[in-house]
Amino acid sequence: MAGDPLDALRLPVVPVDPRPEFATALHRRIEATIEGGADPGGRRDSPTVRYFVDDLELAVAFYCRQLGFEEELRSPPAFAMLYRGGLRLLLSVPGLPGAGAALSDGTVPAAGGWNRITVQVSDLGAALEALSSAGVPVRAGITRGIAVRQALIQDPSGNLVELIEPAEGYHERT
Amino acid sequence: MSTVSVRYIVDDVDAAFAMLTRGDLRLVLVAPVPAGHPGGGSRPMPDGTPQRPGGWNRFMIEVPDVAAAAEKLRAAGVRFRNEIVAGVGGKQVMIEDPSGNPVELFEPIRPEARLARQ
Repeated sequence: MAGDPLDALRLPVVPVDPRPEFATALHRRIEATIEGGADPGGRRDSPTVRYFVDDLELAVAFYCRQLGFEEELRSPPAFAMLYRGGLRLLLSVPGLPGAGAALSDGTVPAAGGWNRITVQVSDLGAALEALSSAGVPVRAGITRGIAVRQALIQDPSGNLVELIEPAEGYHERT
Repeated sequence: MSTVSVRYIVDDVDAAFAMLTRGDLRLVLVAPVPAGHPGGGSRPMPDGTPQRPGGWNRFMIEVPDVAAAAEKLRAAGVRFRNEIVAGVGGKQVMIEDPSGNPVELFEPIRPEARLARQ
């Protein structure tokens, strides 16, 4: 039986290995687009924060395992990009090319300082207990502020992350 | 609704506290306060260590033309930590707020470096 004459024109089928990370990233982008539907451009700005970390692997593991970040991309040994909801967190290693490179006067960026991201939790006590028992250093235990309860933890490089639990009077912009 | 919150310690803010918004970013500015102050975000640590402005961790602002943005800010008297540098994902420069906190201006040169997520 003669073959389909069009077979000669068809491209061979090339098997492609599934890439789960591609599917996951695509799914996230689709969701972000749907969420951002009210925005005329269909784009959402992701507020971005850069943290300096001494050990990229340790830092990625900490933010993903302990604080619910997702890894978007990693370019070892100098850089990683993580997401948590609308926050994009860039991790750069001091002394390596990129944002960690020395300034023209020779100053090298370093981890630490007091400026920090805040992560909102519904039960601060439970969150702190879980982190503590996972070995995460607590810089300051729970204090009561105006309209929030808060605590400070440290990542493996000593950078602060503030945990907040909204209390009465918490301001949310609508 | 703001989905992301960053706290910066500053020397000079009226009433020790201000909340600013830029897109989805909420920036909370707090001046260091003594122990026992009702505002809890900038009190000293339990070991007495005070909180100070500075450090290197910072939020970023995406601009379409970092050279033009830098020129305008320089003309307005804003302090710079460095000159414009070209990195892997884009060109960047660091400015300082009046307390010496860094803010990074970033001009992406690769699509995946853009702040806007498609």
